[in-house]
Amino acid sequence: MDAANPLATTAPPARISRVRSGRRIADKTLILASTLATLIGIVVLGSILFMLVVEGIKGFAPSLFTEPTPGPGSEGGGIANAILGSLVLTFLGILVATPVGVMAGTFLAEYGRNSKLADLIRFLNDILLSAPSILIGLFVYTLMVRPMGSYSGWAGAVALAIIATPVIVRTTEDMLRLVPSTLREAGAALGAPPSIVIKSITWRGASAGIVTGIILALARIAGETAPLLFTALNNNSWFRADLMGGIPNLPVMIYQFALSPYPNWQQLAWAGALLITVTILALSIVARFVIKTERSR
Amino acid sequence: MAALTDQIALTRDRASARKKPGGLGDSLFRAASYGAALLVLFVLAGILASIAYGAWPAFNEFGFGFITSSAWNIGQEQYGALVAIVGTLASAVIALLIGVPLSLGIAVYLTQLCPGWARKPVSMTIELLASVPSIIYGMWGLFVFAPLFARFVQVPVSNLVEGMPIVGTLFYARVPSGVGILTAGIILAIMIVPFVASITRDMLDQIPTVLRESAYGIGCTTWEVVRHVLVPQASVSIIGAIMLGLGRALGETMAVTFVIGNANRLSGSVFDPGSTIASRIANEFNEADGLQLNSLMALGCILFVITFFVLIIARILTRRAKVA
Amino acid sequence: MNAAQGITSAQLTGRHKADETSPIRIAVKDLNFYYGSFHGLKSVNLNFHDRQVTALIGPSGCGKSTLLRTFNRIYSLYPEQRAEGEILLDGQNVLDASVDLNELRSRIGMVFQKPTPFPMSIYDNVAFGLRLYEKLPKADLDMRVEESLRKAALWDEVKDKLKQSGMGLSGGQQQRLCIARTVAQRPEVILFDEPTSALDPISTGRIEELIEQLRTEFTIVIVTHNMQQAARISQFTAFMYLGELVEFGPTTRIFMNPEKRQTQDYITGRFG
Repeated sequence: MDAANPLATTAPPARISRVRSGRRIADKTLILASTLATLIGIVVLGSILFMLVVEGIKGFAPSLFTEPTPGPGSEGGGIANAILGSLVLTFLGILVATPVGVMAGTFLAEYGRNSKLADLIRFLNDILLSAPSILIGLFVYTLMVRPMGSYSGWAGAVALAIIATPVIVRTTEDMLRLVPSTLREAGAALGAPPSIVIKSITWRGASAGIVTGIILALARIAGETAPLLFTALNNNSWFRADLMGGIPNLPVMIYQFALSPYPNWQQLAWAGALLITVTILALSIVARFVIKTERSR
Repeated sequence: MAALTDQIALTRDRASARKKPGGLGDSLFRAASYGAALLVLFVLAGILASIAYGAWPAFNEFGFGFITSSAWNIGQEQYGALVAIVGTLASAVIALLIGVPLSLGIAVYLTQLCPGWARKPVSMTIELLASVPSIIYGMWGLFVFAPLFARFVQVPVSNLVEGMPIVGTLFYARVPSGVGILTAGIILAIMIVPFVASITRDMLDQIPTVLRESAYGIGCTTWEVVRHVLVPQASVSIIGAIMLGLGRALGETMAVTFVIGNANRLSGSVFDPGSTIASRIANEFNEADGLQLNSLMALGCILFVITFFVLIIARILTRRAKVA
Repeated sequence: MNAAQGITSAQLTGRHKADETSPIRIAVKDLNFYYGSFHGLKSVNLNFHDRQVTALIGPSGCGKSTLLRTFNRIYSLYPEQRAEGEILLDGQNVLDASVDLNELRSRIGMVFQKPTPFPMSIYDNVAFGLRLYEKLPKADLDMRVEESLRKAALWDEVKDKLKQSGMGLSGGQQQRLCIARTVAQRPEVILFDEPTSALDPISTGRIEELIEQLRTEFTIVIVTHNMQQAARISQFTAFMYLGELVEFGPTTRIFMNPEKRQTQDYITGRFG
């Protein structure tokens, strides 16, 4: 404590630095350590991207996007079925999560506000937001896969929807709360019932933020693997139009192929990994951009 | 006067011909929003109920011994959660030990040291770490990090500590393959950094500039400002952020599955392979049947309870900070 | 020294003369208002004359905005706020539970302190209230929008950019857009809650002129913290203090010859 109080020392010799060396070392260490920590973060991201590009780019050929995944031991192949499967699962997941998430977020911000029920749901939503995604896989397995007797795209989509919903609920509520209450009053003062005030005024005012939330949710579920393991599973061919049976998808394909003994499978896993990471990072950056243009308006 | 009466009459006329907004549509909209909110509640309840239901036979069969047993023998149908629980907790604790200082360092750098022009790009880079899918962390951990770790850390450290008491056990790699509990902990540390760092950064940003400036004004160094002014101010919410990170580390599946080695063995060394609850479920669930499936559900149940409490604590801490 | 600073008798005469024979449009009877347990309005009794401008003045927190917000029951958006007593609009008690709030609010327009353009085009802003209550063919709707914008003295400035966002207008224009939006519904009463406090002097002048013109068609109640403004634009003035109505009367008399000591202190700038 003495070091923090240079005045406690009696009559320091003239011109001697009042910052004791101990303080200076602590300060320099902090500056060095925090700069180093930041560098580590940047280097890891750089290293991940470098790895993906170096390993993944070799696999980029037209066949990647036209051919389905090859069976064990067969040559060549692509990941067209996994790409399509992922698109379908993600799209269905967001299709379910968006209305539920936006409506629930609207309840929290507009109807429930500070009521006990709203507090409880806000709290449970936060839990759901951070809940281990593999548990959601177990839940949907028990809820759908077991009773239906088969893995299915529907089960996969529901699992993804459960992961996406809390993200949308949270951002929708946060963004609606940023809409000034005077706008709601002005709407009500014109005789508009609450539903119309919400639909044509507050939703519009918060639209960029809500869209950002949906994009973030999309980015989150596009790379989710664990909840798909027991729901959509995977398969090495095209999938059925009714989405029953295993649905090929990028994350589970990457998981299975990356750890496989076949070089062409491993190459496809790298190509898929590059594709999915670039897509997700791009989505995250777009989400930031959407909200920034809104703020500057 | 006549004009006025006319006008009022006119208004009345119009009022009767008016359409009425709201009504049924308004109630329906409200009900839909209410229902959607309740759905969140039911889903969480459903997750707990379904997992508890699936886990029941295992708890019934093994009782409390399920938690204390380290057996996982599919042939003899003997299952215990100890190895997975220890692996889960150990990897999560390692993740905190490494990830928290990293995150605090990054938050301090961003709020105190970073030149203005670099703040946004650096912030964004750190936040993008949160967007990288966990399976990609797994691949990076297995194919890039683990070989380097084996060669530059496991081998030299094992040689150095061999035969020493305690550290000779804790940091000895029988097979220096690069994978193991410590590797999993390090990968998890990197994965929680963006969450803890960005919450901490926001908290530090919220501290009034006046407070900071007055501390610098009496001649404090950056270290002293951080240590005595900023950290005490934001400590509750920083702990909340750490608990949130812990919640993530406990439940993370894919990245851990790649690098933990997936062994059902209790070992004294952090260099040895192990498993976590999530990695074991991911590895075995699809081939599991009968009691094994129930035991995996029971593991899931334990994971749910642990993360639930951690997240509740996180929530209480971050909320109180917001109100204060 | 009866007159408030800078308020001349010329400002208070002529066209601003109060018409005390005008019928009563709103009658407030024994009105009490509560924010939770805080007693915001205490037994207020007050009449508002048809097609006259009544100004509510008083220091911050005196309850003038609270009173205004009871007429269209906008306070009921907030569950902890409640009003007791009677507010008769053409004989009907608007505080009655059976009153259709949306219908009531379409008859009583309100303009707020800060401009509140909705995040939509200028045209849609004005048409917003119209579309709620009337099913009009496109041509009629266009006509009503133009008419309202003209009444709000905004038409010439925006006629070429009706499809642009209302948020892109200047503060004064936004406020006139909000007035146009309110006027479009052809309400019976228009409530102004400190409509110029966020505006520059020139915009303020235009809004004041506008209120003077609107008086020929609508009954107007305006809350203002600016005594000169009250003197310039109103025929009647009510002075409120600590949730009570202290004095009410023709603006000329309130400013030139107040009966109560508190009123005189306030308008001469001794407190508030």
